[in-house]
Amino acid sequence: MMPVLVITAVLLPLLFPALALVPSRERTMRYGLSLLPLPALAVAILSGSGWTLELPYLLNGAVWLLDGLRRGFLLLTASLWITAGLYAAGYMGAKHLPRFCTFWGLTLAGNLGLVMAGDIASFYSFFALMTFAAYGLVVHDGSSQARRAGRVYLVMAVLGEMALLAGLMLSASAAQSGMLQDLPSAIANAPDGDLIIGLLIAGFGVKAGLPLLHFWLPLAHPVAPTPASAVLSGAMIKAGLLGWVLTLPLSETALPQWGTLMIMAGALASVGAALIGVCQQQPKAVLAYSSISQMGLITIMVGVALAVPESAPVITPVIGLYALHHGLSKGSLFLSAGLAFPAHRYGRWLMWALIALPGLALAGLPLTSGAVAKLATKKALAPEVLDTQMSALLGPLMTAGALATLLLVLRYLWLLRKYARTATNHPAVLTGWLATTLLSLVGFWVMPWNLDSLPKVPGLLPSRYETWQLVWPMLTALVLAWMVSRFTPKTPPVPAGDGIVLIEPMVSAIGIKNRRGWAGPAGPKAHTARGWSLLKTLGDIMDTNEQQLRQGIGLTMLLLVLLLSFL
Amino acid sequence: MSVSTLLPPITLMTSLLAAVFIFATPEHRSGLRTTINLTAALIKLALVAIMVWGVFQGVDYRLSFTVLPGVAFTLKADALSVMFAGLSAILWLLTTIYAVGYLEDSPNRSRFFGFFSLCVASTMGIALATNLFTFLLFYEMLTLSTYPLVVHRGTADALRAGRTYILYTLTGGAVVLVAIAWLHGLMGDLPFRAGGHLHEAGADLQLPLTLIFVLLIAGLGVKAAIVPLHGWLPQAMVAPAPVSALLHAVAVVKAGAFGIVRVVYDIYGIESVAALGLLEPLAWLAAFTILYGSVRALTQIDLKRRLAFSTISQVSYIVLGITLFGPIGTAGGLVHLLHQGIMKITLFFCAGNYAETLGVHRIDELDGAGRRMPGTSIAFTIGAFGMIGAPPLAGFITKWTMASGAIAADMHWAIPVLLLSSILNAAYFLPIIQRLWFREAVNDWPHERCWGRLETSAWLFWPPLVTALMTIMVGVLASMPFSPLSWAELIAAREYLP
Repeated sequence: MMPVLVITAVLLPLLFPALALVPSRERTMRYGLSLLPLPALAVAILSGSGWTLELPYLLNGAVWLLDGLRRGFLLLTASLWITAGLYAAGYMGAKHLPRFCTFWGLTLAGNLGLVMAGDIASFYSFFALMTFAAYGLVVHDGSSQARRAGRVYLVMAVLGEMALLAGLMLSASAAQSGMLQDLPSAIANAPDGDLIIGLLIAGFGVKAGLPLLHFWLPLAHPVAPTPASAVLSGAMIKAGLLGWVLTLPLSETALPQWGTLMIMAGALASVGAALIGVCQQQPKAVLAYSSISQMGLITIMVGVALAVPESAPVITPVIGLYALHHGLSKGSLFLSAGLAFPAHRYGRWLMWALIALPGLALAGLPLTSGAVAKLATKKALAPEVLDTQMSALLGPLMTAGALATLLLVLRYLWLLRKYARTATNHPAVLTGWLATTLLSLVGFWVMPWNLDSLPKVPGLLPSRYETWQLVWPMLTALVLAWMVSRFTPKTPPVPAGDGIVLIEPMVSAIGIKNRRGWAGPAGPKAHTARGWSLLKTLGDIMDTNEQQLRQGIGLTMLLLVLLLSFL
Repeated sequence: MSVSTLLPPITLMTSLLAAVFIFATPEHRSGLRTTINLTAALIKLALVAIMVWGVFQGVDYRLSFTVLPGVAFTLKADALSVMFAGLSAILWLLTTIYAVGYLEDSPNRSRFFGFFSLCVASTMGIALATNLFTFLLFYEMLTLSTYPLVVHRGTADALRAGRTYILYTLTGGAVVLVAIAWLHGLMGDLPFRAGGHLHEAGADLQLPLTLIFVLLIAGLGVKAAIVPLHGWLPQAMVAPAPVSALLHAVAVVKAGAFGIVRVVYDIYGIESVAALGLLEPLAWLAAFTILYGSVRALTQIDLKRRLAFSTISQVSYIVLGITLFGPIGTAGGLVHLLHQGIMKITLFFCAGNYAETLGVHRIDELDGAGRRMPGTSIAFTIGAFGMIGAPPLAGFITKWTMASGAIAADMHWAIPVLLLSSILNAAYFLPIIQRLWFREAVNDWPHERCWGRLETSAWLFWPPLVTALMTIMVGVLASMPFSPLSWAELIAAREYLP
């Protein structure tokens, strides 16, 4: 039974796009979106202790499996894609709908497949499918901002994929195996282990929004259709995280340098992204920076696990828990960005409360998923457990992270109110959002967390001390936000995508701009006028050389033949 | 004479006889011509399938008679030759179907299909040849039978391209002839044999053997379009789309690459090439060609021209794979012989479809073509992603195998070359795909034709979809018995473990 269900879970979204070729199936496609992840959800719920499925003819011999960690990720992925699909059914306009549904299905298939993949080739295949198909979601609306975001996304994605491919190839050769589970120990013992680790961290880091590899995130999220941003931030960037956890040698040998590097990168992301994020002018850009900031906190955990291998078995499930919590609440927040508000006063209040609650959960409000995740993180990273120089810094970092998170959420709510409009929502939109919010606030408590390794699982009711630990950064943030709004009325504008605005001109000079030039409606004329480009100049030089070569080569060869026949 | 002796010549004769019959068919009897064409293609496919099974079982298919004292004409089916023969049999069938639709109502079709069949017969001969003499015979026959195809349209451009083509390939052939004669003088008649012959050669022959090797590679490298001998290939793309498809996927460039495979593995033997110190320079040459072709493809505006430069790059993957010493690298190179053919023919079919249906030749005219021609554009997208090396498609299997081979051979520098080539492939294919699906069509197509229910003529519609499906299947089912990868591994195992 399970093998059929597993294969259906992947094939259903993979083959769903075929409907786009049949004329006038728009309605079926629209409402089919939310049904696609159902088999995967069934797999996640029904598989208790896990399963393994061997498909020897596939690729280099595929093995798909589900264990505790993957089960959490699958649960998150499947449920978020269901509710976001429902939302999309109501949200998306008729324009290019079949195309949107096509890329939705393909991206989903990749996202579900990579969670269940146990061998490298399947994992990388699904990962690449998700990466490339998501381009279709990002640029869907076709505006010039969307195209720019898509371009940045694609360039970074291709570079990331290549780093990943190199890392996986080298590690697979070192392991003499095609299975993901054999990689960590092989990398730990490989002579070029550092190179492999660097490649893997960077390759997955593009997805996970590691600082300097994050540029695409704040560009892609605001322009993508809202349900697509929700799955992008809720489920897809977790794929990078899952990749790290599955491949990096977390519980093998101590890698203090890499650990420190990751902790610093995480710290930079969690605080720096918050600083840039509060200066954003678009609600979804703020959320994108919030995602970077939250992923920064998880990156710190990965860093600690790298530096202190004994802590890895404790930290890994916490990473899964944190991903689950963040995925659901961030999904809900993103979906709320596309809502219209009811005219009725109580209705408005209720809606604002339901929008704000997942945000507060992110910041760690007691009685929410955030409180559990934060307390579990604190326990796992407690200084007395760890033996590293960085451990003293971790506590303050977590506090700063919580403070930054709430500031970002407040900024988001403030911007949302600024652009709020009054109308009735499409029932599917409302249901999709409500379902995500309820999942985040209520459903979270019945999901399996796999925290057996943690000494004391933080429950529903934290102790008074723990409550105070959670609440004081939030209070500080509230005061800070009030002061800022009171005394500095104008936020300094920082462009979304921050550093990319410095890099883009350089890339254009190489030739991206040149190729864009051909596109314009002006046609062939456009590509002469657009200024200097390295590629074009290079191409011209080579053209001339090749022509001369063609003229010369015949004669040379003829002479050569004559000469040789005399011999 | 038993069946196993006759099977190779019969396979060869199916195409030859088809050519004779087609030349004799009057121009207006297109139904009859198509029937002959397709029957011959199907028979040949069946025969090759039988030989594949036979070779797998270890049956010896061989026909041999002496032409001159010391020079034999030999045909034999071994694992490598049925691999190439299988590729050409499958793709010939599809290309024939495609060409029938493509040349509908155009003049001189009997001439075209006649030479077309001759060209495929030569490819078969190249595949089944068992010594250099037989190989060269068919190699030259291929040159002569493709020339009329390249100049088929008879325009000034086509004639000029044909002149360049014949000049390059004839001189290349002459260089090969000289080299073969020299080798024959030194060593006698050498049948192709897994493991090669020359590890028995004495130390005093090192210099002449090195020179002969250089000559052989230079001569074969013309057809394989190794830089700087590639000049004819981008010119030859003025030929009709089915010809380009055949030229780039099966016939000409593959004949060159296949010849190099034969020389390295079955004449010299990979170990003697390595001992002569020739493997590394060849690898560098291949690597340079891979990158050069990709960089040149970036700046091309014409779709077929971009594909042509892409071919230059992709064919050298095969050469690079050959030079990665070890069974894994060899398997990677050999499997690309098939993979590149399947992917590239898909792309050329699609380019032909755009030209025939919409009158689109330039890349910037392709905006929004995905909506008008979804089937063709899906096939193109799959082919292009395959070329980039995106998993789980054919190109990924090649790259993965070759990279593993490079690591096993301790030639780590090949990995950055492969990755950089992937990035460049992405840089010149992804913008096309973006245009197909994500741009709005600006105005009317340059020259649109309508065929009713399908987006284009059914003859043109199905071949690219079939090859695109094959691109997916050979990747996804790479570990199945008789998949290209399994077959290439079989050949590599026989080469290294004689």
